[in-house]
Amino acid sequence: MTDDALWYEAALLVGITNAINVVADSPLQSLAPAETGPEAEQVFAEIRAFYDRAVPAAFLRLGGDPGYLADVWAATHRAFSDNRLTRRFKEALAFAVSVSTRSPFGTTFHLEEMKRLGVGERGVMEVLGVTQMFSSYTKIADTLQLESDMHDIAPVDWSPAPGGAARHRPAKA
Amino acid sequence: MPMTVRLRDAAEYAEAAQKMFELSRAWFGYDFTRPPAMSRVMAWDPEFGGPHGRAMKRAMAPGEFTRAEKEMVAAVVSGVNACVY
Repeated sequence: MTDDALWYEAALLVGITNAINVVADSPLQSLAPAETGPEAEQVFAEIRAFYDRAVPAAFLRLGGDPGYLADVWAATHRAFSDNRLTRRFKEALAFAVSVSTRSPFGTTFHLEEMKRLGVGERGVMEVLGVTQMFSSYTKIADTLQLESDMHDIAPVDWSPAPGGAARHRPAKA
Repeated sequence: MPMTVRLRDAAEYAEAAQKMFELSRAWFGYDFTRPPAMSRVMAWDPEFGGPHGRAMKRAMAPGEFTRAEKEMVAAVVSGVNACVY
């Protein structure tokens, strides 16, 4: 996991996962169901095909603005597609994010996606275990306001950012 | 940001804790100049730190997901918990 591009992918996935979850979990029942036209229906068809299931509620809510729906879906599709990280592993990351942020929608949805993409019970338990343990370490560290002292394990990498120009290591003072 | 508690230096811990520091060094594969703050917090109560550390290592061991993938899961969880440590 030393390639920065992997971390870019992970970060974008975390962001869009949270974005989908906040809408899906919000108490928006007082909003009238969106009236959708052919443009939204076309996006819904892509969503159904990607997930091999009915369109998740988070996307149905966006159907009233097909242009917005299309862009949110395009970003979601991009973030969850196989790239440097596999779609299977991305669902595991999204599951960990959803459990950590107490998202009922995200936890259920990404658990089902993990299983559909071949993650077994053991794999699910592995992700739950890591999520639980680091939910413990992080709160212990925060409660005691520990300052990170792990920098030496991963010294600053002066190689170029993905696709970027060469960087020059500053001279030591 | 100042810490809310003082942490003992490694040498001020009992022998049982010294073993935990050795395990920590082996886990990270890195020879720290002194044990990380979290290791010293865990060593404060070995009856908590011991099983907690074992649970963490069990969770992080390679299985359906690799150790590297699990490190990324851990980083993501730390990120959404807004923990910089």
